[in-house]
Amino acid sequence: MNAGSPIVLSEASAAPVAQPSGLTRTQHAPPGGAVVGRGAMPPRPGRAQTTKRGRPDREPGLKRANFGHGPGLPTLLLLPQFLILVFFFFIPSLRALMQSVLLSDPFGNNVQFVWFDNFKALFANGEYRQSIVTTLWFTVAQNVITLAVGVVLAFATDRVVRARSVYRTVILLPYAIAPAIAGILWAFLFNPVVGPLAHMLHALGIGWDPNRNPSDALWLVIMAASWKHICYNYIFLAVGLLAVPASLMEAAAVDGAGPIRRFFLIALPMLGPTVFFLAVMNFIYGFFETFAIIDAVTHGGPAGATNILVYKVYVDGFVNLDLGSSAAQSVLLMSFALICTLLQFRYFDHKVNYGV
Amino acid sequence: MVERAPVLDTICHAILIAGALLVCVPLYFAFVAGSLTIAEVQKVPLPWLPGDQFVVNLQAAWVKAEFGRTFLNSIVVAVGIAAGKIAVSLLSAFAITYFRFRYRMLAFWLIFMSLMLPIEVRIVPTFEAVANAALPLQWLAEMLHLGDLWKWISGHDIAIALEWNMVNTYPGLILPLIASATATFLFRQFFLTVPDELCEAARLDGASPLRFFWSILLPLSVSNIIALAIILFLFGWNQYLWPLLFTTDKDMATAVIALKNLIPRSDNEPAWNIAMSGALLTMLPPTLVILLLQRWFLKGLIDSSK
Amino acid sequence: MNRKTAFIAALFGVLAFAAPAQAARVEVQWWHAMSGVLGDRLNELVEKFNASQDKYTVVAVAKGNYDEVTNGVIAAYRAKRPPEMVQIAERGYMTMLLSGAIVPVQELMDQKGYKIDWPDFIKPVASFWSYKGRMSAMPFNSSTPIFWYNKEHFRKAGFDKPADTWQELEAQLYAIKAKGVSECGSVLPGDFYWSLLENYSAINNQPYGTLANGFDGLGTEFVYNKTKVVSQVARLKKWLDDGVLQIAGQGFSPEQLFTSGRCSTFVNSTASHGNIERNAKIEWGATFLPHENDVNPPLNSTIGGGAIWVLKGHTPERYDAVAAFLDFVAQPETQVWWHGATGYVPATNKAYGLARERGYYKDHPTREIAVLQLSRGTPSENSRGFRFGNFVQTMLAQRTEVEAVFTGQKQPQQAMDDAVKRGNEILRQFEKLNAGKDTEADGKSK
Repeated sequence: MNAGSPIVLSEASAAPVAQPSGLTRTQHAPPGGAVVGRGAMPPRPGRAQTTKRGRPDREPGLKRANFGHGPGLPTLLLLPQFLILVFFFFIPSLRALMQSVLLSDPFGNNVQFVWFDNFKALFANGEYRQSIVTTLWFTVAQNVITLAVGVVLAFATDRVVRARSVYRTVILLPYAIAPAIAGILWAFLFNPVVGPLAHMLHALGIGWDPNRNPSDALWLVIMAASWKHICYNYIFLAVGLLAVPASLMEAAAVDGAGPIRRFFLIALPMLGPTVFFLAVMNFIYGFFETFAIIDAVTHGGPAGATNILVYKVYVDGFVNLDLGSSAAQSVLLMSFALICTLLQFRYFDHKVNYGV
Repeated sequence: MVERAPVLDTICHAILIAGALLVCVPLYFAFVAGSLTIAEVQKVPLPWLPGDQFVVNLQAAWVKAEFGRTFLNSIVVAVGIAAGKIAVSLLSAFAITYFRFRYRMLAFWLIFMSLMLPIEVRIVPTFEAVANAALPLQWLAEMLHLGDLWKWISGHDIAIALEWNMVNTYPGLILPLIASATATFLFRQFFLTVPDELCEAARLDGASPLRFFWSILLPLSVSNIIALAIILFLFGWNQYLWPLLFTTDKDMATAVIALKNLIPRSDNEPAWNIAMSGALLTMLPPTLVILLLQRWFLKGLIDSSK
Repeated sequence: MNRKTAFIAALFGVLAFAAPAQAARVEVQWWHAMSGVLGDRLNELVEKFNASQDKYTVVAVAKGNYDEVTNGVIAAYRAKRPPEMVQIAERGYMTMLLSGAIVPVQELMDQKGYKIDWPDFIKPVASFWSYKGRMSAMPFNSSTPIFWYNKEHFRKAGFDKPADTWQELEAQLYAIKAKGVSECGSVLPGDFYWSLLENYSAINNQPYGTLANGFDGLGTEFVYNKTKVVSQVARLKKWLDDGVLQIAGQGFSPEQLFTSGRCSTFVNSTASHGNIERNAKIEWGATFLPHENDVNPPLNSTIGGGAIWVLKGHTPERYDAVAAFLDFVAQPETQVWWHGATGYVPATNKAYGLARERGYYKDHPTREIAVLQLSRGTPSENSRGFRFGNFVQTMLAQRTEVEAVFTGQKQPQQAMDDAVKRGNEILRQFEKLNAGKDTEADGKSK
């Protein structure tokens, strides 16, 4: 039954292969959500059976203990989310993306259908290719820094007893600042002419000048974007650490494992789902949500050195009013991001340990 | 704490203090700039020590940006976004993780896709959608030629009857910002870690799915809900472009819009002192929210271990 | 609404609107991009108008910066809820003109029976905002770049005042640096493309594009890679390398490097007067922009800033209100007040004459420079202004290329060739979109 549905595209790995198709079909037989809670559930696949490789053959992202398969209730539960998404995301997005095959004035009074001209122009554009490379650097560096610093800070918060909530509050503050203000502050601090931190770098003998040195500029936006996002990682990691059962840690301590060893052996693996969530979200953040910071810190310069894809989408659409090209870039960016995310799910979601 | 490790604890404090400094250095300079006169703030280099104009500037910023009113709008919008998003996301994450149904993965990925086109990029069509949320219904009516039928029933033009304008309303500000998958994804991740035994036990007791959701899953999720509520409140608080383009009524402006109007642009007096004290002011409500909500972090954990 | 309708309406969650009760005053909206002190002045202007009569109310709504205002109007227009008036920056001229979304201002004023003395507008202002000799938008905040300098620095270095030509000025700035009078001779303005490339071309009578900089048709092509602009870019690069010119960069306004006394000169809009007069603690002066030594006489500079556009789709009563307000804006008294309150130039000769008559320039001599510079000589094809479609986009492409010179990635000639190539592709895109729209011989009729 899965063969014809898009499920295969996304999660082709485990479920359809291991699951006897006949069983699947019978499972879908009872109409409505009536089966729930009657104890009349057919044996759930995966409960006892495992594949030869020893992996439980359950559907990814589904609880082993679930409420079965009545389409009624889950549809109802999903309905609010979907209504909002359809009206305020899918319809506007489709209309935005439809621009990618049009040449149009921004007011929409003059529209020409141009097939794939906008895409062709992008592929022929060296600046666009440079932007792809910049985006990869930016996103990876930002992701690693954010997650690493977040883990260290969360670990430290979990250890200390005194002033814990003060630390937590202060470290969360960057998220309370409007991105544009954060960008202005960073640009100011590292301004080669007047910035106090830039002067420190100069005193250390570093010829810091993001206005004329492209790699300095790229580092600056990576730092600013990470600074703004560390707290996001931090709070979910901190909450996750709170949930690690003390009994497990005590048992490990009795076995002679030190705090750091315990953290890596027990706590961090238990945080797997959170870390996976954060890795994906950091990636999305770097890809899609950083243009306000770029705009305030470097304007994408110098000479396009910090012109990441989403900033280019934003500038071409919002400033240049080149809606066709901007939409074409959005289509490409979305496809690229979707593929990357699918790969992340494909390779890491199964490795994440959801069981406790 | 399992054992005493004074060295490690000291290091931890050092790390946290370093982290706090990293956070505070930019804010400190915002404070310095916010405490100077307009002539002082234009000096090169900027002084390292604050001046004595902080209160004056705070007052000026408060009055100019009409923070009394704009704060209220921002709080409504931020709370609306946080509450709305958490509510719809809890339900949909529950559906996706606890039910086996045909389009489960498709549903998940459709929701997930909403992370991939920020509202700033689709702002014009979103405006159209909210200016008239009934637009799809109008198209449908057009397609099915319902117009004539409607006219016959009501004597009105269908395009007019089917108009649902949300410009300058709170729902119009809030709903488009709820449409994203962050929270659904987070709850999915969390629900997957909830022990299967709980669900099995609930089913043995004959509890309905909604009962299980309400009395077991929800209390377990409190810490995550609180963490997310903080994040979403701050996210909502800092929204700029959508509220800016979308509101035409001054009474609907939010705090960040008012703040941005304090920031000097070209051809203008660089009143960074007012802008920066305004920036610090706008951080107050989010900071309060962080402080207040943190108290509940441990609540879910304690409840669940009872 | 009958019961049936009411029921179905409720079913669909429809909010039906009753016709608003006839208000005593007709209210119209004006979306603008002025923040800070300028925003305050703009609000004062609107209040003056509202208080001056009892039929109309103008509501000024700050909608962010120029880009945000433009997008706000586009979104609102597409959703069929445009404001009556909007302030758009000079670079958006062609987009607005050919959008099909606007009512030309002169047409509206004629129709509503207001007698505006159109030929009285200062030439570069009039020619920038008019199409086929008729004004399309009401000039509002017009500025032009002038040359600001630190008198004390020049005196210390042994000069009376800045030189008129770039060549002599260069010698002065190098001398100032060599004598250790200041750390940097000049600071690069954030909008250097406007002052140091575009206005530079107009003043030095260099063509920027073919077809009279676009005034004679959409087929225009950039040609500044074959003019003195290339050597101008090379000059800026040399100054940067020698530490004579400084980039302020993001997070800091270039103006502050000048007003704080760190840099000796600054090319910037005359609209900076408001701030510099009030807050600069240095002994400052201002003069005309320099010109090349082989160009004599130098021509007029061109304008920047914004104008008020009127949008289609409103009722006649509302256009009455709009016309009354625009008439108020064009009055010499209003112009003089705005000129004094902000530092923007008066848009009409009458307003300028009035300011002179009242001795305004005796107390504020530097405020006259912009008007004198704008109306200097007879405008040539190269100094009438710039009429390029997608002018923001071509400018950003150019800025990127100039930055590539500053970072040392490209030679000036190479960079300008690339900028022209990219710019021309963008122009062709605009031409293709607007093919068949008549823009021939615009401006020649006047």
